[in-house]
Amino acid sequence: MKPTYLYRLMIWVGIAVLLIWSLGPIYWTIASSFTPTDDFSVRPIHFFPQHLTFDHYARLLGINIARIGGVEVFKQFRAALVNSVVTSVAATFLCVAISALGAYAFTRLEFPGRKVLFVLVVATLAIPAYAVLIPLYQIMINLHLVDTYVGVALIYVSAFLPLSLWLLRSVFEALPIALEEAAQLDGAGRLYIFFNIVLQLAGPGLTAAAILTFLGAWGQYLVPLIFSPQATKPLTVLIPEFVTKNFVDYGLITASGSIAIIIPALVVIFLNRYLVSGLLAGSVK
Amino acid sequence: MTVSAPDAAAIRGSRGFGPDAVLGALLVSPIVLTMAALVFYPMSRTVWDSLHRVNPMQAGRPFVGLENYSRMLSDAQLGTTWINTLIYVVLAVVFGTVFGVLAAALINQIKVGRQWVLAAVILPWALPGVVNSVIWLWIYQPGAGLLNGILSAFGLPFENHVWFNDRTSAIIAVTVVHVWRMMPLTIVIVLAAMQSIPAHLYEAARIDGATRIQMFGLVTLPLVRSAIAVAMTNATVNAFNLFDEAWVLAGSSLETRPVLVQIYLETFQNLRFSYGMALSVVITLVSLLISLVYVLRVYRNTRFD
Repeated sequence: MKPTYLYRLMIWVGIAVLLIWSLGPIYWTIASSFTPTDDFSVRPIHFFPQHLTFDHYARLLGINIARIGGVEVFKQFRAALVNSVVTSVAATFLCVAISALGAYAFTRLEFPGRKVLFVLVVATLAIPAYAVLIPLYQIMINLHLVDTYVGVALIYVSAFLPLSLWLLRSVFEALPIALEEAAQLDGAGRLYIFFNIVLQLAGPGLTAAAILTFLGAWGQYLVPLIFSPQATKPLTVLIPEFVTKNFVDYGLITASGSIAIIIPALVVIFLNRYLVSGLLAGSVK
Repeated sequence: MTVSAPDAAAIRGSRGFGPDAVLGALLVSPIVLTMAALVFYPMSRTVWDSLHRVNPMQAGRPFVGLENYSRMLSDAQLGTTWINTLIYVVLAVVFGTVFGVLAAALINQIKVGRQWVLAAVILPWALPGVVNSVIWLWIYQPGAGLLNGILSAFGLPFENHVWFNDRTSAIIAVTVVHVWRMMPLTIVIVLAAMQSIPAHLYEAARIDGATRIQMFGLVTLPLVRSAIAVAMTNATVNAFNLFDEAWVLAGSSLETRPVLVQIYLETFQNLRFSYGMALSVVITLVSLLISLVYVLRVYRNTRFD
């Protein structure tokens, strides 16, 4: 059927609406972060900032604070940015490493309790986080791990490990076993095969697992709200704190929000293929 | 070569397990440790402690049986939050699925720039839930927000309209943010199923003289039905887990408060740990039950197909 003009037009109008729905709110946040506070309530509304300013970012990043006479939020903000990066990267690295080792064992090695263990771990995908949060809080207090990188990163690892393990096992299972058998005949050990053959071939799968874990950890709110109240407070906990009862600093909110958007946006732009494959593998659990 | 043959043979000889078994146990031990300490043990503690009175402000942990559970029945606040959560689930699943399937069908129709459109559509899902929420907090802002700005630009009387003063509009406002964040997942799942439909089926339908709408209803929809069910399961569980959006947009306001916020308040503000745990047990069971219903239905459907 040759698509008619009208039909093609309808499709593209639909796509335009979809794009405005998806990107419009993000555009508005970024545009607002460059708008002077005085222009916020100007009506009729302008869809493009009439005056550009970097003041909100200057306040966040602590650049030339004296000139603006702004609030000193940059120390908190920089700490939160560092905390977010450290905990997410650490959790991602640990989670992917642990689940890659495990997934290899679950696919290629026979050991007692293999099936039961795999099912048990993956079944926790269906268990919501709050089913474990309260005892976890008591455990972390006893271990003095509340408000530490180690504590938060470990919780993220335990939360994202089942998905990563599920994903990597299906990736490893799809790898051609002939290569590994050939290597074995040549006298290569299991670990040699794992590091030099399996990991080399599983690059896309590892990327997908890493992306899902990283985005999950980067976006966590409830967990750090409880486990990272002060010293290790991440961006997600800091940003809503700019909303106070009497005054909401939308300049800071939109600017800090825009900064928190950068990394997920880069992932979606450059690694979308892996992200989609990971999402699909994860959703059909 | 890390594991040399003589060593492996020695292990086999001395323990009665193959070298693979030993290596396997070694490789999974980090998983076992992490999951046991941070998931399985706390999970059983949640269930066990929900039968006791655990409160950091009161000494002792007496066994109270099902008291924490029976208290839920007379907890009026909890009732309201359950109703709110159910409203979120119904609204989010219905709108997320209807618009998600439509969006997937749209994206499936284009050939130029499909991956760019898909990337743009996925972006809201990839952002932190808190960032989604503050983005919309700013859009809903009464005096300077985008929504009132657009509505008043059309001459409608929405200058300084407060969307969170009225329960209905507040709940819808929270749902919109949630759907904005979670619909991409539905789109990705359904789109993948649509792309796997063989082209010859559409060809056959075309020869039979089917219109585009008939093709969508008679070829596309039946073939993506199980994908839609998977997407709906995800949407349901995600809507049950709604926390960030309600908490950032409306704080502890009872009008929009979902069960999860109630658990958080009871536990970490009222310090009723064991009551919070009993609530967690119940909502976990409910959300598992719902997933199970979907899974069984999909299983039955796909078997008959």
